[in-house]
Amino acid sequence: MTMRRRDFLRNLVITTGGITVGGSLLAACGGASSNTTVDGLAIGTPEKPIKLPVTTDAIADGLASETGTLEILNWADYHNPESIAIFEKQFGVKVTTSIYDDEAAAIAKLRNGTFKPDLIFGMSATGLAKLIAADILQPLNKSYIPNFSNVITGLRNPYYDLDSQYTVPYMIYGNGVGYRTDRFDKNAFTDENGYDVFWDPQFKGKVGVLDSPRDTLAMAMFRAGKFDANTSDAAVIKQAGDDLIAMREATNPKVDILAYTEIPAGNRDVNFTWSGDLFTALQYLPENVSPEVLGFWYPPKTITTNDFFCITKTAKAPVLAHQLINFLSDTDNALLNRTYVGYQPALETITVDLLISSGTIPESLIDALVTPERYDAALSQVTLDPAVDALWLDQWTAFTAG
Amino acid sequence: MDKSPRLWTGFAFPGTAWLLALFAVPFYAVACVAFGSIDPIFRDAVPRWNPLTWDFSESKIIFSSLINGPLQGVAIRTIIYVVCAMLLSFLIGFPVAYFLARHAGKRKLMYLVLIILPFWVNYLMRMLAWVNLLSPSGLFSRFMNILGVHYNWLDGSPITVTLGLVYGYIPFLILPLYATLERLDWRLIDAARDLGANSRQAFRLVTVPMSKPGLFAAGVLIALPMSGDYYTNDLLSRSPSTEMLGNQIDFFLNASTQPQRGALLVLALSIFLLIFMSFYLRSTRQHARETTR
Amino acid sequence: MTLVASQSQRRARTSPLVFVIWAYIIWSLVPVIIAVIYSFNNGRSRTVWQGFSLRWWFTDPNASLWHDDSMRNAIFNSLVLSIATMLVVTPLGITLAIGAQRIRGRGSNVVQGLTAAPLITPEIVVGAALLITFTRLFTAVPLGFTAQLLGNVTFSLSSVVVIVRARLVSIGSSFEEAARDLGASRWQALRFVLLPMLWPSVMASLVVVFATVIDDFVITSFLSSGVNSETVPLRIYSSVRGGATPALNALATLLVITSFTALVIGLFGLSTWRKRHGERGGLRAALADVTQMES
Repeated sequence: MTMRRRDFLRNLVITTGGITVGGSLLAACGGASSNTTVDGLAIGTPEKPIKLPVTTDAIADGLASETGTLEILNWADYHNPESIAIFEKQFGVKVTTSIYDDEAAAIAKLRNGTFKPDLIFGMSATGLAKLIAADILQPLNKSYIPNFSNVITGLRNPYYDLDSQYTVPYMIYGNGVGYRTDRFDKNAFTDENGYDVFWDPQFKGKVGVLDSPRDTLAMAMFRAGKFDANTSDAAVIKQAGDDLIAMREATNPKVDILAYTEIPAGNRDVNFTWSGDLFTALQYLPENVSPEVLGFWYPPKTITTNDFFCITKTAKAPVLAHQLINFLSDTDNALLNRTYVGYQPALETITVDLLISSGTIPESLIDALVTPERYDAALSQVTLDPAVDALWLDQWTAFTAG
Repeated sequence: MDKSPRLWTGFAFPGTAWLLALFAVPFYAVACVAFGSIDPIFRDAVPRWNPLTWDFSESKIIFSSLINGPLQGVAIRTIIYVVCAMLLSFLIGFPVAYFLARHAGKRKLMYLVLIILPFWVNYLMRMLAWVNLLSPSGLFSRFMNILGVHYNWLDGSPITVTLGLVYGYIPFLILPLYATLERLDWRLIDAARDLGANSRQAFRLVTVPMSKPGLFAAGVLIALPMSGDYYTNDLLSRSPSTEMLGNQIDFFLNASTQPQRGALLVLALSIFLLIFMSFYLRSTRQHARETTR
Repeated sequence: MTLVASQSQRRARTSPLVFVIWAYIIWSLVPVIIAVIYSFNNGRSRTVWQGFSLRWWFTDPNASLWHDDSMRNAIFNSLVLSIATMLVVTPLGITLAIGAQRIRGRGSNVVQGLTAAPLITPEIVVGAALLITFTRLFTAVPLGFTAQLLGNVTFSLSSVVVIVRARLVSIGSSFEEAARDLGASRWQALRFVLLPMLWPSVMASLVVVFATVIDDFVITSFLSSGVNSETVPLRIYSSVRGGATPALNALATLLVITSFTALVIGLFGLSTWRKRHGERGGLRAALADVTQMES
């Protein structure tokens, strides 16, 4: 209800007053924050971390967990059904899952009531400011999440959410290029022009890129030597859009988030995607195909980031939602979850060495693992100012409209 | 009967009220969103319920984009795919319907059942069937490889999309075509033959003109859903190079944060189809006038 | 007429079109049959045959149609939605058909126009318009089952009206007039004479609505709210291009079986009714009823 009221208030402001009034009203509602945009979004960056405004209290300590159903909202194939089954048995509840395939669209659907989950998996810093502005999330009570201490040290107090008031990290991954080692020479990817394969007509019809405006436009920027993944420079954004259109003409790529099934099935030779997809791909390999056919080029300068769990303000089973976060932040449970999802859990205890020694990572994919060094060298990706976001989306539409 | 209009009005009322509330009003809501404003934070549409306050700035952008901007390709492609799919559907569907109406003989019921079956098989099941056959390891692709045709059917191929539309909608063409042809007065054709026309002439000069309104109606019946189709394309291609108008509507409303643009495209599609429909209505009326003269 | 029929039969033997029709039948049905066969594949693949098994139907403890919760959930949602729509739209459609057929005067044009419009409106337009309406105007209607029900009723209402009106036309007004002459009130004539005679069209409507709604994708998808309102077509759509197993083929097969069962029950019911009430036509007339061919 609060959410509706605030939306209503803001719309009132928007339709009658102006952007700045809206912003100041929000800032007033949201408490002090040094880096809100003119539009009232509270955006943290690595240079300017943010403590997010809190408008309601977290749930009280020591409540009994709810019975019945826990509704989660997640990406497709992004949790292990077996892990969830164990959780269901342990807590005597039922977990249902709705699927989303685009962060921004999912936030719009959370606002208009299409999605009414208790717990959300896999949102990231690119969407957090909007989730907060729309008043969708409730602050967490970490007394229910003792396993929070397993989280990678550097992510216990992340720049996008100081003190982790709303979020608990889930997986870590980087943006790069997945390819078939049986059709591609590893040396095709040199540090300077590794992305050029997507513009090379000889691979026409065998390539794919992420159906994610922020990631794929940023890839075009990186190829052009521009490394600000949050740029507001209209010329750079336009150039990236034009480059993607040139790519479309050259190689006619698929635009989706199915690299993890299409590469192992042999339908694609090369796909710009998230590193974790290649590990997910392992279990989609047809029988009798060696896992060594899967390869990944991790660009030296790229986005390496994490996503997180968060709980909605309207959650009907908030305690259970906390319990599930805690459950999946347990090292053994996270490892079991990983056997299906493939992505690397954002836990300090699950090191690269542990994963390699587990024997589940083929030699050809060791390069797809996120190492602490990579995390330190990462480019960040945060929520864009709405006006800038519009520039990005316009270029994306021009690309996807063919 | 005419003297108790109140009873019949009462009968018509619930259904009419339903359609007013859930068919007419929604069109108005689309317009209010299309000509409304945009929330500066979420870029979500904020409808303007009062037509006097409608803002047409975004609609100008979208309409000019459809005519000579980024969306031009989508508009042209939609028309080309639909026209090609229609022509192909007629090329395949007419002989089938003609045979069924004219030459099926004693086995008519059997043929009729066989032709009706796909009509009752779920559309998505039929697409699923083709996705399986056309995928690189699928039976059809393997068969074509043996013939020396190496083509990636599911990779943004306009041919696949057009054939997919034909496959999907042709049952909806054949049945009304058959109904039209069966109602034709075949004695006229026999008369034409008796008067010395050969079978081709009789077909061209008698059968086709007589069945024209039915052909038209059947064509419209499949052209309308084809123009708004997005899932055939999504399942068989998923490439920007084959995007149709329906895909853009789906994208803006369901997979993006710009519902206003989605609403504008819904209006654009409706207007386009309205023009199409009025053309159809005029030609059938003209035809009716000619035949009664 | 008999003369024409005999001439047609004479030509049947020589017509080269017989190849065309068989080519069409094979083209339209064989891919579906292959998809059904692959639901019995022993391997994970939907394209490479690895022997027969019931793995994806029953035996696989997690991923088979029988054991997969989300698939069972989709089947349940589909059935509930189509039955509920059927129950709401049939009475609404019958009254509207009678009203629309007989209403005169100024209101008539509005009624005729509104009833005809959904027939020529692409589904995506209706779906999009309702989505916008339910999220911005009638916000008391939650997306999910309720919205899907309202949407499907709206979209299928006109086809019920078409079916029932066709029957009304063929019945004519003489039966009711006769009843009135014998002293029945207008209401009695309607209730005891007209309504029972409408039965074939009611049955045809039920079958048509059930089959349309259980197969519906666009409206149901636009108005869905995640997994709680995921129906079988939505489930197929979201998994076809992914790495789904042959269990998906099994699910699609089940959907086809359900539609066919409804069709067969409807046809059987219709032809029995016709026989019992001395109406001609049998199976062919029943087929014509459910395919709306004569409309």
